[in-house]
Amino acid sequence: MPEARFRVKRYDPEAPVMIGARYDEFTVPYESSLTVLEGLFYIQEHLDGSLAFRYCCRAAVCGSCAMYINGTYRLACQTNVRHLHGDAITVEPMPHIPLVKDLVSDMTDFFAKYEAIKPYLMRNSKTPDAEIPQSEADRKKLDMPIDCIMCGCCYSSCPSVWGEGSYLGPAALLKAYRFEVDSRDEAGKTRLPSFDNERGIYRCHTITNCVEACPKELNPTEAIQWLKGATVRRRLLGRAK
Amino acid sequence: MRQELIQEHQGGMWLWLLQRVTAVVLVVGLAVHLIVLHAFNLGELTFDNVAARVASWFFAAVDLSLLGAGLFHALNGTRMVLLDYGFSGEVARCWGRSSGWWVWRPSDTAPGPSGRG
Repeated sequence: MPEARFRVKRYDPEAPVMIGARYDEFTVPYESSLTVLEGLFYIQEHLDGSLAFRYCCRAAVCGSCAMYINGTYRLACQTNVRHLHGDAITVEPMPHIPLVKDLVSDMTDFFAKYEAIKPYLMRNSKTPDAEIPQSEADRKKLDMPIDCIMCGCCYSSCPSVWGEGSYLGPAALLKAYRFEVDSRDEAGKTRLPSFDNERGIYRCHTITNCVEACPKELNPTEAIQWLKGATVRRRLLGRAK
Repeated sequence: MRQELIQEHQGGMWLWLLQRVTAVVLVVGLAVHLIVLHAFNLGELTFDNVAARVASWFFAAVDLSLLGAGLFHALNGTRMVLLDYGFSGEVARCWGRSSGWWVWRPSDTAPGPSGRG
C-alpha cells in the first residue's frame, strides 16, 4: 500500500527548553483523496495520541486548521496530499504566533484585535419594520470581505505585525472594511478611532504578504487602502462612501 | 492585551496624507527642476545671472517647497522605519520632541499596548 511521509513540528510547553525545533516523522497510508488533516487524524489515532492540532468544520469554512504546510499557508482540511510535492509533507504551526502546543497557535491577541474594531453593524436611524433594503451593487461590495474565515494566515504572514505586536493586522482591518463598506452600516465616526491610527490602517505598508497567504484568495491590502481613503474622506468631507 | 487594545488612539492621518502629498510634490517638482535646468536656456552661467534667478520669487517658492517637501518626506519616512523596527517609545521620546515637533501630537506616536515605550 502506498504511503505518505509526514514531518510534523512539535512543541511541548512542559518540556525543558531545547535549542532548535523538534520534528517527528510519521508514515501514513496514502490514498488519492487523503488530506493533510486526515493524515493528522491518522497520526493522532494510531501513531501518537499526544499530537495536538485544531480543527472543526473540515470544509474550509471555519478557519481552525490553518497551518504552514510545505512552506505555504494552507488549510489542512482542504489540502490534498497528492497536490503537495517533495519527499515528505512538512506540517508546522503558523509562524510568528505564540504556541499553545504542537500545531495549536495562541490566537488570543488575534481575536482581541478583531473585537477592538467593533465587528458588527451599527445603526443610528430607527429600526425599520421590514428588512433594510440593499442594492445589488452595494451587496456586491461585500462579496470579498464576507468570505474571510478568520484563519489567521494573513495575520501570521504580515511583517508589520511581526515588528509591532500592537498592530491590528490585516484580518481585523478586513473586518473593519466589511462593516465600513456596508451600505446598512451607520457607524459614522464611532468605529473610526479603533483603526484610524498608527496601530491601525497607517501601519500597513502594502507589502501584500496577506494577499499571497490568504487560503480564500481575499485581498486585505486593497481593503486597508480603501479604509485609508475612506478615513480621509470621512474626516475632511464628512462622508466615507 | 485586550483592554489595552480597546483604548482608542486617534492620529496619524495627517502624517500619512502629507507623506503622500509630499511624494507627489517631490516627483513633479524634481522633474520640473531638472528639466528646466537642463533644457531651458537660463542665460550664461555667471554669478550675476544665478543670483538674479535665485532672487526671483518663483525660483524661491519652487526651491523652498522642494526643500520642505523633501525634509518632511525624509524625516517622516525615517520615523516610520524606526516605528517598524519597534522603537515606538524611543520615537515618541526623542524624535517627537525635537526635529519632528511641528508635526507631532502625543496620539500620533502613542506607545503600543505591548508595553514598548
